[in-house]
Amino acid sequence: MSVDEVGRWPLRIGSRVLRRFVETRELTLLVLIVAIIVGMSLASPVFLSLANFRAIAIGMAPTVIIAVGMTVLLVSGGFDLSVGSVLALASTVTALLLLSGASIPLAILGALALGVIIGLANGIVVTRIGVNPLVATLGSMSIARGIALVLTEGFSLINLPPAFGWAGRAEILGLPFLLWVALALVVVFDLAMRHGSFFRQLYYIGSNEKAARLSGLAVDRVRTLAYMLSGLLAALAGVLLASRLMSGTPTAGNALELQVLAAAVIGGASLRGGEGTVLGAFLGVVFVALINNAMTMLAVSIYWQMIVTGAVLVVAVALDMLVRRGDE
Amino acid sequence: MAAPLLELSDITKWYGTTRALGDVDFDLKRGEVHALVGENGAGKSTLLAILSGVVAPDKGTINIDGRAVTIDDPSRAQALGISTVFQELSLAGALTVAENVFVGRAPTACGVIRWSELRRRTQQILSPFGIEIDVGRPVDRLPAATRQLVEIAKALSLDARILLLDEPTSALTSDEVAALFDIITRLKTRGIGIVYVSHHMAEVFQIADRITVLRDGRRMTTRAVPETSIDDVVRAMVGRNLEIFAAATALVPGPVALAVRGNGAKGNSRHLELEIRFGEVVGLAGLMGSRRSELARSLVGLQRPPGGAAIEIKGRPTRLRCLRDAMTRGIAYVPDDRKAEGLFLSMSVTDNFVVTALRRFARLGWIERAAAKAAASEAVERFRIRVPSLAAAAGKLSGGNQQKLMLSKWLASDPAIIVIDEPTKGVDVEAKREIHKEVRRLAAAGKAILLISSDLPELFTISDRIVVMREGQIVGDLPTRLATEESVMALASGTGHKHEGEAA
Repeated sequence: MSVDEVGRWPLRIGSRVLRRFVETRELTLLVLIVAIIVGMSLASPVFLSLANFRAIAIGMAPTVIIAVGMTVLLVSGGFDLSVGSVLALASTVTALLLLSGASIPLAILGALALGVIIGLANGIVVTRIGVNPLVATLGSMSIARGIALVLTEGFSLINLPPAFGWAGRAEILGLPFLLWVALALVVVFDLAMRHGSFFRQLYYIGSNEKAARLSGLAVDRVRTLAYMLSGLLAALAGVLLASRLMSGTPTAGNALELQVLAAAVIGGASLRGGEGTVLGAFLGVVFVALINNAMTMLAVSIYWQMIVTGAVLVVAVALDMLVRRGDE
Repeated sequence: MAAPLLELSDITKWYGTTRALGDVDFDLKRGEVHALVGENGAGKSTLLAILSGVVAPDKGTINIDGRAVTIDDPSRAQALGISTVFQELSLAGALTVAENVFVGRAPTACGVIRWSELRRRTQQILSPFGIEIDVGRPVDRLPAATRQLVEIAKALSLDARILLLDEPTSALTSDEVAALFDIITRLKTRGIGIVYVSHHMAEVFQIADRITVLRDGRRMTTRAVPETSIDDVVRAMVGRNLEIFAAATALVPGPVALAVRGNGAKGNSRHLELEIRFGEVVGLAGLMGSRRSELARSLVGLQRPPGGAAIEIKGRPTRLRCLRDAMTRGIAYVPDDRKAEGLFLSMSVTDNFVVTALRRFARLGWIERAAAKAAASEAVERFRIRVPSLAAAAGKLSGGNQQKLMLSKWLASDPAIIVIDEPTKGVDVEAKREIHKEVRRLAAAGKAILLISSDLPELFTISDRIVVMREGQIVGDLPTRLATEESVMALASGTGHKHEGEAA
């Protein structure tokens, strides 16, 4: 018993079956995703087509890649608002390097390195100086976006070498290369977060930072590496986006950080840290992407889509709180 | 004769299929301290929760001044004059003492807080009890003991007639306990009734007028203090006689494992010499302000040794820059605050167990679940940690079991030297005994153990030697069999003559 039980809203979810179901977030999402697919197939003739699914997959691939990094961070109790801006910056820097004659691998490496450096800066400011992650990454979000705009004066950079477009166009076994990259990252990091001794540390740190420190974990180093990973993956998403669009776009990924956060939280991650899975975040992205696609198919205005996404986020988290309360 | 201040009869409470309380009767007179004791899970917390309106009983009646009442929520409890000081403090750290005392009820003029009036009223509440605090200070800046007093002042400001104290001394040193008892005595003379929940038998016998023992949700007995003894009460709590633990063993200790060599920064006046040998338990006693925690933390690399002392591990001078330095040299630190510093409450028993040895359970960076589970399950058995399953969240365990899990977690890293801070704070008698046994077993296995405790009987039970600190110096170092509680207290408080055991 503790004091904070005092005065809570006495709402509980009663049914044990329902509770179990809601508790395993991945399962809930999977069922909801199947329900949307079935429902939409009946409602719209165009929905259940390879072309539509391909469009969804390509559209969400960068979001998935960034969501992987964000989940890793959220689990550690961290947070990164700069991902959308880093994506844009990486996309413009790749384009700039290519246009200035750098080879494709060099351009890509340059952009990725930049992402890692921004992540490192975020990590140092948060862990060594102790600035709140929200504030620190709000700052780097603005700085990274600003640099992208300064470098390009706000214009998109086009006329990239044709070979650079390979990643954005290629298909392997009938699926877009972008989707393969995203899926591979999801699988690798999901497993690593479940079984890898390095990544398991993130759960301890997010669950109780002080105890983690006193248990001998290198808390600051691990958290900084998580920020670096988030920066790296955001930059990777930016490079792939540039390849798909064949341009460096300084305005790309606007408000993407909020979409990614919403998806990760819908997928079971918590802003308090210590919980969440990469698979859950992936399913969260898919879920939101499908809802948006369904609404487009049903000719719902894009403005309404924002309202629905927001409502889904709040409902998902509220439901989670109710389940937890029922546990006590 | 007037009706008692508070009277509970036939109180029954079920949680699902578990009966937390069954037909419990309890009463409290004006100006009485009625202690409620029992092991963890005996139903004390549930009874407090019912009285403070957090949970509703399934059956039974509650009378206050002879009138039947229902306490259906915490604000109702307050209106009835019942105030609770919970074990986990409920103060807003950044706000001042005065604001905390008058939380939500600060005097205002046209919606603006009248600060001077607020401070004056707070002083008014505090001064009759001889509590001297700057009421304009943020609560964060106060020592734990003072925070406890603020909490009590808050209860008093609500015109409480019934005060529920849940383990009020668990964070206090003996001086502070004395001050608290002084305040409790003054409250009694004002006719306030106090329900006092504690694991601490000596304190209960010192302050309580009557004692009620709960076991498994049943009331075992209610006795006036002069008519009973600690043995009787403990027997009623555990339902059998406890074998008295044989005071420290006389094994010949091994070579020196850990030593502190310090003459201090201020010339040679500061004395800080300490040796801990393999195979022995050294108990470290000292009042708050004795800087004994600083010494302990410096032994594990969490801070510099006080007064510039040097540390030697196995005879070699060593500088420990961080906890990991200490860990790689085989030193483990078991912190005193299991919830804030020791455990990962939302994570499983297995996860908690393996954290100190992630590398040991990993191959090529991959954790081997089976090995981790097997080791955790072995530890659970060995320490008799009662868990629903290895996958259960650590937060679901009782205090005693959490404490055992925390200790076992450190043994997973197989340390040779173990520093344990307050190993049995807020833990029931049975768990305490098991923890003591385990500490002795570790010493018998050749580990060097430094044990810090505010609980003197505990130090006498398990230490081979007792080292006393005062004001950052070691003022006494005596074999347990030559020490008495009185002599240790005298050294710790500086009232006695100086004992130079280490000069021998």
